[in-house]
Amino acid sequence: MKANKTSETSEAADQVIHEVDGIQEYDNKLPNWWLYTFYGAIAFGVGYWYWYESAQIGASPAQSYQAELDQAAAAQASEITVGEATPEALAALAKDPSAVALGKQVFTSTCAACHRNDGGGSVGPNLTDEFWLHGGAPEKIFRTIASGVPDKGMPAWQPQLGALKTQAVTAYVLGLKGTNVAGGKVPQGERESVSSR
Amino acid sequence: MTSAAKTSDPPVEPIARSQASEPTTIAYEDQTPMRFVAASAVWGIVGMLVGVIVALQLAWAPANIHATLGFGRLRPLHTNAVIFAFVGNMIFAGIYHSTQRLVKARTASDLLSKIHFWGWQLIIVAAAVTLPLGMTQGKEYAELEWPIDLAITAVWVVFAINFFWTLARRTEKHLYVAIWFYIATIVTVAILHVVNSLAIPVLGGTLKSYSVYGGAQDALVQWWYGHNAVAFFLTTPVLGIMYYYLPKAAGRPVYSYRLSIIHFWALIFIYIWAGPHHLLNTALPDWAQTLGMIFSLMLWAPSWGGMLNGLLTLRGGWSKLREEPVLKFFAAGVTFYGMATFEGPLLSIKSVSSLAHYTDWIIGHVHAGALGWNGFMAAGMFYWLVPALSGRPLYSKRLADAHFWLGTVGILLYIVAMWVSGVNQGMMWRATNPDGSLMYPTFVETLIAIKPMYWMRLIGGSMYLVGMLMMTYNLARTGLWSKVVETRVKVVPLAPAPEVPWKDVIFSRPIVLTIVVLGLGGAGMAANMFAGPLFFAIAFFVALFGMVAFQHARKAGGPPFHRILEGRALLFTVLSALAVLAGGVAEIVPALVVKPVEAANAKPYSPLEVEGRDVFIAEGCYTCHSQMIRPMRFETVRYGDPSTLEESAFDHPFQWGSKRTGPDLAREGGKYPNLWHYRHMVDPRAITPGSNMPPYAHLENERLDLARTGDKMRALSKVGVPYTEAQMAAAETNAREQGRAIAEDLAKEGAHVEPDTQMVAVIAYLQRLGKPPAEKKDVGEGVSMQEGAK
Repeated sequence: MKANKTSETSEAADQVIHEVDGIQEYDNKLPNWWLYTFYGAIAFGVGYWYWYESAQIGASPAQSYQAELDQAAAAQASEITVGEATPEALAALAKDPSAVALGKQVFTSTCAACHRNDGGGSVGPNLTDEFWLHGGAPEKIFRTIASGVPDKGMPAWQPQLGALKTQAVTAYVLGLKGTNVAGGKVPQGERESVSSR
Repeated sequence: MTSAAKTSDPPVEPIARSQASEPTTIAYEDQTPMRFVAASAVWGIVGMLVGVIVALQLAWAPANIHATLGFGRLRPLHTNAVIFAFVGNMIFAGIYHSTQRLVKARTASDLLSKIHFWGWQLIIVAAAVTLPLGMTQGKEYAELEWPIDLAITAVWVVFAINFFWTLARRTEKHLYVAIWFYIATIVTVAILHVVNSLAIPVLGGTLKSYSVYGGAQDALVQWWYGHNAVAFFLTTPVLGIMYYYLPKAAGRPVYSYRLSIIHFWALIFIYIWAGPHHLLNTALPDWAQTLGMIFSLMLWAPSWGGMLNGLLTLRGGWSKLREEPVLKFFAAGVTFYGMATFEGPLLSIKSVSSLAHYTDWIIGHVHAGALGWNGFMAAGMFYWLVPALSGRPLYSKRLADAHFWLGTVGILLYIVAMWVSGVNQGMMWRATNPDGSLMYPTFVETLIAIKPMYWMRLIGGSMYLVGMLMMTYNLARTGLWSKVVETRVKVVPLAPAPEVPWKDVIFSRPIVLTIVVLGLGGAGMAANMFAGPLFFAIAFFVALFGMVAFQHARKAGGPPFHRILEGRALLFTVLSALAVLAGGVAEIVPALVVKPVEAANAKPYSPLEVEGRDVFIAEGCYTCHSQMIRPMRFETVRYGDPSTLEESAFDHPFQWGSKRTGPDLAREGGKYPNLWHYRHMVDPRAITPGSNMPPYAHLENERLDLARTGDKMRALSKVGVPYTEAQMAAAETNAREQGRAIAEDLAKEGAHVEPDTQMVAVIAYLQRLGKPPAEKKDVGEGVSMQEGAK
């Protein structure tokens, strides 16, 4: 590569060295910035391989995932804005218009697909009658939403929605109880009177 | 023809068997290139029209008007038509036309040319019929079923014979850089196609077959193929075409011969390693992912070498660019190539991929390449070639100009829409609230947010299609269908003469050096993978620059090394095949020979689930739904634990997917009741307002041929799924039983479906996904397989 190092004067640019079918070829030197890009990428590749694969100094995907989980767990532990989902707290939330409004929003985007917009039920059960498959008390409704009923196809929502929205949607569902909307799904589960807790 | 290099070259060899060295006159065979141009233009319109239709379907679901014309079936038709019909015919046109002129010989056999042309068109027609019917192997860009795969192999062999036979009869000793790229293309595509398409057909006269590879192995082989189809079908032949037509049209010398040597060898050697960048952050062993990433980064400069040689050849010719549409298309095409080959390495960085993978950013990236590079290089070549072959000036330069601007604006609208959509959706998927919950827990919210971009893409794509129509009209008026003007040239057959012995070429210093250092690298890698890539990189670097150094070291007075190599077609072919094989062997062989230990715990699908999986593949569900949860918290909160290798061990072919227009399905099983799936497939928008999924109500009426399920299981057992004789014999009974249970469950909820329908089978399959991951597994456990693969 001596030719490359010498200045342009010693190696004349734009000299035709071959010709075929009327196409001529120059043999100009390689642009330096291009060469450095190439060297740089090779050097980076070697370094990256050494760091992550040979010496394993860098975190593996499994390790970084674990770190991410730990961090999230720590963050959740320190999160104190959402109170415990006690029956009393849930009953209070059901009377809090802002919580119910948030719950309605979540219900429409997340729950309506199976329980219908008005809670009358389609794939999932009717939430507006007096019959409950997994219990109609506030803490039971909360548990069903938060942890799901995997055997029946009800997903666990708390990991995705977070505690606040899960409680809010519980508050909204508590308000649906006993509204007995028209055209709702046939009753399923056990009868519980509306006033019962 | 009296350049200095020529006179200093050694006397030539007797490859052309002729003993005479008096000048003779030959006529080029130009009807074949003209036919290929016409076919490319017509199929290009078809392929892009299907593209516009699928773009409309994504923006507006009611456009899925019929089962055979749904998105899942049309999308493979679109990709296959554009890649293999549009670009395929274009590269054949360029190769058949330019090779004759570059080697100064008529194409060896008119008959083989005809077989190649018509054979290829028949294959395209077969693809256009079978894909909408749902006959597919379910591997992206390799969907065609086994009889068509065999036909492709046969036609490709005919092409190769015709091409190399022409080289053997050449009267121009040295192979020009365009020919190097053609050689690499023909050899590599053959290897890729054969290895990736290996499959076992289901006995009994069906078209159905199962890939011999499963799970992670299939993922690796498929993306080794898929990525290098881009490399060796959409890139290298088009670079060869650039090296012929661009200097021709510009009337300017090629900027740098030595740059062409370096970027050619670097490109073909490095490209083949980059496939795993399609599988970053998946369950694929990490070492393979890392190789895919670092080789993709190394690919940046070699790719730009091609762009530089193209753009710098236009130096001093910029004024011509204003009035010559051909050069406009070439300049823009090469620029888009530069853009796409910068974006490619960027997307191959693991952290960038974690955002961009599965999103529209990737769609934008491939269209920058397909529309900008392939489409514009094709247009430039056609606008030059059709006047040259028909002997008539281009019908309308203004129309070509309008095509250029319409196409350019169309591409920009398209890729900007996809950038915005991809980055936007990727950010929404990963957005979390302070308490760790998802900001957009419902997948469809993230789809609704990008819908406007889908309309913008549709507009951009439609503009490009209109440009194609304008081009075809322009070419037709010029003389696309007319008889070609015969070109006769005087050639001097190569005289028999002493040759540098092949051993001296093979054992020349650059090659010995390369092989020694690569060997050391390979040994190092096999030993503990500590030094391996280090040596590979050094070897590579030494070899490349050694080649140029030897090229310029003329102390001995002999011709430079690479010039000798250019005179030896066979040696050149062998060496380029070796350069290509190195990466494939290093990445794929370890994955194939290491018995996947994790398969020990995996349980094969039940007979009905096998049927359901076939429906899933036939409907092209994998074009929108991945089955691969990446180890990132925002994914696992949404979809469940990270996918393991074990879970897809018996998936022939693998279904990890490449795009999420809908949510990941790896752990769909048990998430919703059967009724949910039933209602959702009959009318997706009834369950998920805003969804763009096509309706699959027709699955309710399609009966399964359960008598054949045993045959399917037998084919699967041949590729390694451990079904027992008893299981295969009882397939039908077992499937009916499972189907009845699902139908009864649906009936309880008021939905009446026959138990032996495709609907029931696909529900059975979906309910199985991600189940059972019998015991809950520790996160670190996925790593143990990687140790094994080392």
